[in-house]
Amino acid sequence: MVDFLIGLFLASLIVALFTTRLYKLFLWYSINSLMLGMLALVIGKNIDDDAMIITGIITIIVKAIGIPYILKNLSQKFHFIRQITPEIKVQYAIMLIPAILVFTFYLSAPITSMINTNANYVAISISSLFLSLLLMIEHKDVASKIIGFLSIENSLFLLGISATNGMPMLVELGIFFDLLMAIVVINLLFHKEEMKI
Amino acid sequence: MLTFLLLPAIVMFGVSFSQNEKFKYFLAFISFVILWPIIELFLLPKPYNILSDYLVADKLDTYVLLVSSIVGIGVTLALLTLDKHVQVSPKAYRKFYRFFAVFWVGLIFSILSNHMGIYWIGLELATLSTVYMIKTNYTPATHKEAWNYMIVGAIAVSLILFGIILMYASAKPILGEDAMNFTLLLKHAKEIPSPFLFEMGFAITTVGMFVKMGFFPMNLWLANIERASFYPVAALFSGILESAVIVGFFRFSEIAMQVNYDHLFIFIFIYTILTIFIVAFLIFRAKDFMRLFSLSGVEHMALIVLFWVSGAPFAALLHFGAHAFLKPALFLSTGVLESNGKYKIAGALRGYKGKKGTLFWFLVSLFLLAIISLPPSPMFFSELYGFGAMINTAKQGDHILAMIGAILFLLVLLSIIFYRFVAIYQSMKYEGKEEEKTVYMSELLALIIFAISSISLLLPSTLTYLRSIS
Repeated sequence: MVDFLIGLFLASLIVALFTTRLYKLFLWYSINSLMLGMLALVIGKNIDDDAMIITGIITIIVKAIGIPYILKNLSQKFHFIRQITPEIKVQYAIMLIPAILVFTFYLSAPITSMINTNANYVAISISSLFLSLLLMIEHKDVASKIIGFLSIENSLFLLGISATNGMPMLVELGIFFDLLMAIVVINLLFHKEEMKI
Repeated sequence: MLTFLLLPAIVMFGVSFSQNEKFKYFLAFISFVILWPIIELFLLPKPYNILSDYLVADKLDTYVLLVSSIVGIGVTLALLTLDKHVQVSPKAYRKFYRFFAVFWVGLIFSILSNHMGIYWIGLELATLSTVYMIKTNYTPATHKEAWNYMIVGAIAVSLILFGIILMYASAKPILGEDAMNFTLLLKHAKEIPSPFLFEMGFAITTVGMFVKMGFFPMNLWLANIERASFYPVAALFSGILESAVIVGFFRFSEIAMQVNYDHLFIFIFIYTILTIFIVAFLIFRAKDFMRLFSLSGVEHMALIVLFWVSGAPFAALLHFGAHAFLKPALFLSTGVLESNGKYKIAGALRGYKGKKGTLFWFLVSLFLLAIISLPPSPMFFSELYGFGAMINTAKQGDHILAMIGAILFLLVLLSIIFYRFVAIYQSMKYEGKEEEKTVYMSELLALIIFAISSISLLLPSTLTYLRSIS
């Protein structure tokens, strides 16, 4: 089950890299977050960790439902251009993405060899981190860059789950709080006109 | 204690919603109130647990908190006359204070944290709140730079979190959930089962912190943002936000030194020299005060980091304190210096009339010459101690000649910066047209506070305190 979910996590991120429509990008981010939340629930249940189960539920509510909904509302309010063409052409992206995956597995081998649990998951979370960076790089529009930043946060969350069997609850909640603060700031940044003298 | 530390920020947040124009005077007064709990902290025995073992005040963070508070007071004083120098709407003004309060809360958590996770949360909160402070200046260039800061800042903070997770993973087998606790990590550093994993985490976290401070390869990133935003933002960056970042570096590097000192030293040594090498030439080409001071800030932060890892924490802390007072003072002065145009360096120190004007140009001259380490600037002494410590470190190994070569190379780079600053000072004082400029009492008061604070760093009691930290 965990392998299946982590596969879907990675797949949703890869599909997001090829998306040319903004709302589809929000959808893939939502699916990516949903997989992450379900992973936390399943791993939390397997290791009998209540804190991770709570984190999983919050992830699904905040990241899979709340943030995509807010971003969609913002995009309607501020009339975002919904056509988001990646700067990297599809034929190059097809070669680049597997190369990044292989490269990160090779690069993270010294790290994963020291982690006793879920070594492959750690490699996947590091490769997700690089793919999220690629998502930020390949788009010029701000909305896609925001999704890239949120995906980086998802990758780090996955790393926290897989490499350490979950971070302390206090830290997880703090990260959620910061994420909500980021959304508030992003919302304010879109208000271009109100500061005019 | 935590309530008293957070109270000024909470009151500031609340008062910022007031529509009354006089609210800013009250906020300037509130910023002074923070000194009271910090003085209390100084008097308490150290380490003092503020919130269980999550927030602990020791000698290092009490010092950093005091320095940051003085900078905060200076900035709020200078903010009183912000609308006299730049165009700012009342709404933007109020929002600036609101986010300044959030920024302050984040910094208190960051500076006092004894927990890697809480440190990161505080830093992220401070970073996000700064984004909006940048945007207070309503221009398309600033809007672009605010987004730029949001994205690059988020990547830098993500790198820090990435490194923290790896460090936590490396120590969790022996410490469990307490593997995030700085004190326990330091105590058990030599028992970490996967030192390589810890070092990887430390290296990634360090790169994230260095990106935030504008080190190689992001040298111009911070300078461009500070140029685009209002001058108090640059003062907050150099005096407070960078303090929070550097205190994190001190904490992480203390543990990394126990794990493998040689690896840490070589990594930091190469990184900082590369940064100073690039920054020296960028300073040489700088054509406005903001970029000049910003790039000089990068150079000084690199020196602080270098002194710290070279086994001279006293020199690093002295340099840190001096930089935290001098640089915001210079940034706040740009509000007046740039009265007649952003790129008018020639004659910028001319045209000041009366007692206030004379005192202003005298103080700015003092700060400009102190920042390039002319004696008796605290920076002169910190650099002497710092370079001395680097040679002492080299003596213990087999690389004394390489170290002397590196110090000579550093001195050449520092002399390029010195030459540029002296040339700029001469141009400000003796060239250009004499155009009348106005200095306001509140900004003069802020500069006086910074001058007194810089001088107080050389008091025997301060030096003894700094030595006791190291």
